[in-house]
Amino acid sequence: MTTPLKSDTLLAVEDLGIQVGGKHLLRGISFALRAGEALTLVGESGAGKSLLAQAIMGNLPPGLQATGRITLDGTTTRAQDAAARRALWGRKLALLPQEPSLALNPLARVAPQLAEVYRLLHRRTASAAAAQAHQVLGDAGLGGAAHHYPWQLSGGMAQRAVAAITLAGGAPVLMVDEPTKGLDAQWRDRMVVLFRGVLASGGCLLTITHDLQVAHALGGQVIVLRHGVAVEQGDIGTVMAAPAHPFTRQLIAADPARWLPFAQPAVGEPVVQASGISKAYGTQQLFAPMDLEVRSGERIAVQGPSGTGKSTLGNVLLGLLAPDSGRVERSARLRPHALQKLYQDPVGSFAPHISLAQSLRDAARLHRCDWKAVQRRLAQLRVPEDLLARKPEQVSGGELQRIALARVLTAQPALLFADEPTSRLDPITQQEAIETLLSATQETGAALMLVTHDAHLAAAVATRTLHLQGA
Amino acid sequence: MSSPPESLRAIPRKGGRTPVAWQSQLHGGAEAEPSAPPRPFRRAWRTLLGGAMLAMLALFALLGPWLAGSPVEQDLRNTLAAPGAQHWLGTDVLGRSALARLAHAARLSLGLALLAALSAAVPGTLLGIAAAWCGGRTERALLMLADSVLAIPGLLLVLLFAALAPGALWAVYAGLSAALWVEYFRVSRAVARPVLAGDAVQASRLLGFGRGYVLRRHLLPALAPTLGTLLAFTTSQAVLALAALGFVGVGMQPPTPELGLMMTEAMPFYEEAPWLIAAPTALLVWLVAAMMLLNPDRETV
Repeated sequence: MTTPLKSDTLLAVEDLGIQVGGKHLLRGISFALRAGEALTLVGESGAGKSLLAQAIMGNLPPGLQATGRITLDGTTTRAQDAAARRALWGRKLALLPQEPSLALNPLARVAPQLAEVYRLLHRRTASAAAAQAHQVLGDAGLGGAAHHYPWQLSGGMAQRAVAAITLAGGAPVLMVDEPTKGLDAQWRDRMVVLFRGVLASGGCLLTITHDLQVAHALGGQVIVLRHGVAVEQGDIGTVMAAPAHPFTRQLIAADPARWLPFAQPAVGEPVVQASGISKAYGTQQLFAPMDLEVRSGERIAVQGPSGTGKSTLGNVLLGLLAPDSGRVERSARLRPHALQKLYQDPVGSFAPHISLAQSLRDAARLHRCDWKAVQRRLAQLRVPEDLLARKPEQVSGGELQRIALARVLTAQPALLFADEPTSRLDPITQQEAIETLLSATQETGAALMLVTHDAHLAAAVATRTLHLQGA
Repeated sequence: MSSPPESLRAIPRKGGRTPVAWQSQLHGGAEAEPSAPPRPFRRAWRTLLGGAMLAMLALFALLGPWLAGSPVEQDLRNTLAAPGAQHWLGTDVLGRSALARLAHAARLSLGLALLAALSAAVPGTLLGIAAAWCGGRTERALLMLADSVLAIPGLLLVLLFAALAPGALWAVYAGLSAALWVEYFRVSRAVARPVLAGDAVQASRLLGFGRGYVLRRHLLPALAPTLGTLLAFTTSQAVLALAALGFVGVGMQPPTPELGLMMTEAMPFYEEAPWLIAAPTALLVWLVAAMMLLNPDRETV
């Protein structure tokens, strides 16, 4: 689809492709955005969504070649000519990168990093720039964190800080890569309002997201990417209402908002009982003294704003951390290693230097679990066995999370604490991973505690929800 | 590592003893920060060259002593001979073959240095892991010990040990090990800390794996590349320290063929027979260059 270039077209991409060593990562992407228009890219992880934004910016990783033409504010350049677009960075073209914690300067506090945009780009005086920076950070709910260093921020706070800095330049062409990852519903909606403000003031927006509700709220066009090809492209309302391609239908159906609640489990004996537990880091109280009883078969969703100690609660229940007060009692009938954990980043939870097969075999041998049984479990989780010869970092997130599940199941857990296990996965992979997780707990009668930002996911999965409030 | 027979002890001890650079690099560059690997092609090429140079040197040290004959057999009618067909590297003032002496010296230096580096590596690494693992008082006590060893210049520490038994191999060996273990301690503690704090080790512990497993599957694979680099580095440091000790006369005693001692012996004749002092110097340069080429991460050392 090529739109004839008009004078008010801010960003036009014609037949953009990306290849490495003759292999196409992305091909035949075309679109045009005028002032006030939004475009959203959705699709499975690894479909090349982030690469498209990097190609438009002109900072593709070395070795990757871009083909096609990119028109920015009336000037057409070849996609490969990255240097030509670099002069536009910040003033005309801005990107909110995917990993916010990596985008901040680790050696500087947050407020000065924002203030320098006003000072250097908008030629304000130092004091005016500082005052404006404080006001903007206050609006973003970061007033108390203005003088923190990036490593003192939680993931969601860093995300908001980077968004504030990206928007401060006032670039009319804005690209945002997973802007709502790690944010709960309240901040996600605030983010959408911010982006709508950009559109209202005559900018255009290219959004990359897994969250179809964000795409719907922003409106405009949508491109559904799969294996580097646009399988469907059009107005978001039309596409969502009447998806033409099977993959789009699958993607929409996988949105947690559309999930049917899972079958109620049979709840049994208490596994872990906590009474009066509390935990503080320094002067910051994470959670006030609380009682909690987890019974076998139960599925508890743990929700709360970032920084309220959801992961810490898990570590206390699993016995990895001692609570400041109160006590955690585990049922006397439990096997020694019956409390297990699934991690947000599955790559980090495997020994990086040995093969996955080795990790699994070690766990199976330790728990006297027959290798045949592990193989059956892997087949049930649809993990191809030749994948196991690889190292953890060479396997995709969804597959690795399933292998991690197979590994903890060798220990026959009575309680599984899953800490945002699917937040990095696309909707389809997320749905598959949650379904395998639930059927595994259903089969073994294990209790499940699931930390998630997504209220729909919590509603579909949980038999009850635990809300942690900030102290 | 064999000591030559004590048959002949006569050696003129005249000539100037120039002060050597005392500040050896025994403790230089202890911070082996894991840095991004350089471009693979260049790295492979460098490592290959360093490995080849080191292999040639090892072959010379292993086979040379048998092929080149006795390092102490004198021929007073053929002293200070120029390199020729009979004596490839000439003869010294007592008519001994410089090649034979060089081969024996290489075997002594390399063998002793490698042994000292290895026996520094094992306790150093284990203590570093122990410090990272236990934390608290154990870590503070070990750090204090390491810092106090660091405060003494490495060569001085070797001298202190050598003074216990002048000329004895074991004293020099013990001194070298006592000075070198600190670097292994610091590096392995720095590498082990983030590994032990990571999710992977936490997951393994939750699954019920014990200390041995964490050591075998998590810590040692993470440490291996750094330790390999460090071993090459400390071995060349030990060879240099050994030569420095021999040069000032507190290390090996004559007539033991030793690189530093050979330089001292050749000093008075550097005008008549410059090849005598050139040979051990060239061997040291060769060794250190090979070790540095093997160390891709230490381009600036």
